[in-house]
Amino acid sequence: MKAAPTLPAAFLHPAGQSLPQPLLELRKQRGTALVDMPLPTRKTENWKYSSKYLKLTDDMGISLPADEKTGSSLAVPGYKVAFLNGVMLPEASEYPDLEGIRIQSFGDLDDDEAARLAERLDSNLDGKAVQLAQLNSARFEDGLFISLAPEAVLDQPLHIVHEVTADASGSAFPRIYVDAGRHSQLTLVEEYISSGTAAVLVNTVTEVEVAEGASVTSIRLNMEGENVQHVGATGVRQQRSSRFESHTVGFGGPLRRHDLQVRLEGEGAECKLNGVVVTQGKQHYDNHTTIEHIAAHCNSEETYRNIAADQSHAVFNGRIHIHQDAQKSNADMNNKNLLLSNGAEIDTKPELEIYADDVKCAHGATIGQLDETSVFYLVSRGIGRRQANVLLTMAFINELVDQIPVESVRETAHTRLNQFFDQTFEEA
Amino acid sequence: MLSIKNLHASVEGKEILKGINLDVKAGEVHAIMGPNGSGKSTLSQVLAGNEAFDVTDGSITLNGENLLELETEERAREGIFLAFQYPVEIPGVSNLQFLRTAVNAMRTHKGEEEMNAAEFMKLAKEVSKQVDLDPSFLKRGVNEGFSGGEKKRNEIMQALLLQPQLAILDETDSGLDIDALKVVSDGVNALRSDDRAILMVTHYQRLLNHIVPDYVHVLAGGKIIKSGGRELALELEEKGYGWLGIKDEDAATDAAN
Repeated sequence: MKAAPTLPAAFLHPAGQSLPQPLLELRKQRGTALVDMPLPTRKTENWKYSSKYLKLTDDMGISLPADEKTGSSLAVPGYKVAFLNGVMLPEASEYPDLEGIRIQSFGDLDDDEAARLAERLDSNLDGKAVQLAQLNSARFEDGLFISLAPEAVLDQPLHIVHEVTADASGSAFPRIYVDAGRHSQLTLVEEYISSGTAAVLVNTVTEVEVAEGASVTSIRLNMEGENVQHVGATGVRQQRSSRFESHTVGFGGPLRRHDLQVRLEGEGAECKLNGVVVTQGKQHYDNHTTIEHIAAHCNSEETYRNIAADQSHAVFNGRIHIHQDAQKSNADMNNKNLLLSNGAEIDTKPELEIYADDVKCAHGATIGQLDETSVFYLVSRGIGRRQANVLLTMAFINELVDQIPVESVRETAHTRLNQFFDQTFEEA
Repeated sequence: MLSIKNLHASVEGKEILKGINLDVKAGEVHAIMGPNGSGKSTLSQVLAGNEAFDVTDGSITLNGENLLELETEERAREGIFLAFQYPVEIPGVSNLQFLRTAVNAMRTHKGEEEMNAAEFMKLAKEVSKQVDLDPSFLKRGVNEGFSGGEKKRNEIMQALLLQPQLAILDETDSGLDIDALKVVSDGVNALRSDDRAILMVTHYQRLLNHIVPDYVHVLAGGKIIKSGGRELALELEEKGYGWLGIKDEDAATDAAN
C-alpha cells in the first residue's frame, strides 16, 4: 500500500518570530504533529470530492512576506481591521477603543494573556474533521484577538479584510479568536481577497466563544483569485441561550474549502447558518458544516444554496449530530442546488446522527436546472433570454443574499454576482 | 394584422395543428372555440413562440413580418401577448420586478426611456386597481401562492401594462368564479381598441357573454372547421360540439394525446 502523502517539507518551518513566547511554544508543539500528518486523499471521507483540487507544492510552503505595505485602501464603512499575508496592519485598521471591547493583534498580547489564549486555541475545533487546521496552528504568524466583556455591544460591524499578495508562491495563515462574554453582541465580517497571480495557499482558522445570552453574527466573504487555494475552518461553541448566525458568500477557485463546526453546549442556544456558493469555469467550492446538538432545547437552522456553471464543481456536506441528552432539539437543514450547465457537478450530502428520542429534525436536498417553463414565461413578456436566466438564477439565492445584515457586504456580493452572470450567460 | 396560412405544428413528432388558416384585422375580437385536445392551446403557444412545438408547414405573419423567424422575446416586443392558461409561479422574483423588467424591455425596444422604480410603482398601482388586485401582490413572488383567479387577473394586468397589438387569451375564463370573470372581462374590454386585436381561446361560451367577439371559429382535429359571427357561439352552447359532427371519441382521443 502506498503511504498517504504528507506536507511538502517547506510547510514544516514556521516563520515570523514576533509572537509572545506562549504562542510560539504552542506553534512549535503543533508543528511536531505535522511531520507525519497524512494529507487528505480521495479515500479520506470528508475530502472525497475535493482532495483532487488540493495541490500543495514545496514552493508554496514558505510564508508570504509579511512586511509589504498594502496598496488597497479598505473602502468599507465602519470598523475595520486589515491583515496582509496573515499579519495585522495597524495603520490600515480603524476600530474603537470602547469600554469592555478589546480588539488586538496576537503580537500585542502580554505573556499572561498570550498564555491564556494559547490554552484555549484549537479547543473549538474537532481536529479529526479539520485536518488542515493543525497546519494553521503550527504556522500562524499573527492573529486577531477579540474579546467582549459581559453586556458589551459593538455598535457597528467589524470588517476584517484578509488580503494575500501572491507575487510569488507561498502561504498565509490568518487566525481569529473571538471571546464574546455574557450577553455581549458582535457582528463580524471576514473578507478574503488576493492580488498577484502566483500559486498560494490561504489556510485560516476562526474560533468563536459565545457565552450565555451573547449574540454573534459572522459573515464570510470568499473572493480570492484563481491562483489561491483556500482551506478554512471555523469553530463555534455556544453556551446557554446564546445565538450565532453565519452568512457565507463564496465564489469558487482552484480549491475552496470551508469547514464550519458549531457546538450547541448550553440549553436554549440557537444557530442559523446560511450559505451561498457560485462556481464557474473549472472552479471548485466545498462547504462542510457540522452542528453538534449537545444540550437540550437548542435550535439550528441551516440553508445552503450552490450554483455551478460551466465545468465547475460544488460540494455541500451538512452534518447534524444530536447527542443523547439533547432532548427537544429542533434542527432544520436545507440545501438546494442549481446546475447551469451539463458539464457542472454538484455533490450534496446531508448526514443526520440522532441519539435523542424527542427531537424534530428535518432535512432536504435538491439538485435542479433552470426551469424552461419559467424562462418561457419571462421571455414571452419581452424580457431577453439572458436577463430571464439572470432573474431566475438570482431568484434562487436572493432570499439568502437579502438576509445578510450588512449592506456593504450585500452590495459587494451583488457586484460579484453580476460579474458571474456576465461570464456565465451570453448576451442574447 | 395577423395572418395564419396552412399552419401545421407538432409536438414530439405528433401533429396537432393540421392546416390552420386565420386572418385577424386590427380592432377585431376573434374567439376560437373547440373541445379539449382540438389544438387550441397549441395554437396559442405556437403564436407566442414556445420552442416545445415544431412548426412543420405554413406561415404566420404579423403586419407582414414573418413571425416564425422571431424568438419569443422578439415576438413579445413586436406586440404579441399570451395570457397563459396556467400562469407560472416564480418564487424569488417579485411581481413588481418582473413587471418593470418586462415594461422596460418593451420601452427600450421602442427607443423610449426606461421607467424608474418610483414611476413604475405609481403606474403598477393604478393598473392593479383596474384588475382589482391589492397592490400588496406586487411585492410577492410572481404568481407565488396566488389563487387561480388572482393569477388570471395578474395576466390581464400584464396585458394592460404591456399594451400589446395582439392579445391571445388562453382559457382565461377557466377557474374563475362569476365575480372574477367580470373583473377579468372588464380588463379585457379595456384593452379593446381600433389598433389592437384580441384572440380568445376558450372551451365555453360564457366568457363571450362578457367579451363579445366579432368572429367565432370552431377548431377541431387541428383545423378550423367552421367560422361565423357571435351567433355561432350561442348555437354551440345550445347544441354542443356534436352538432358539428365532432365525435366525442375524437375529442377524447386528442385530449389523451
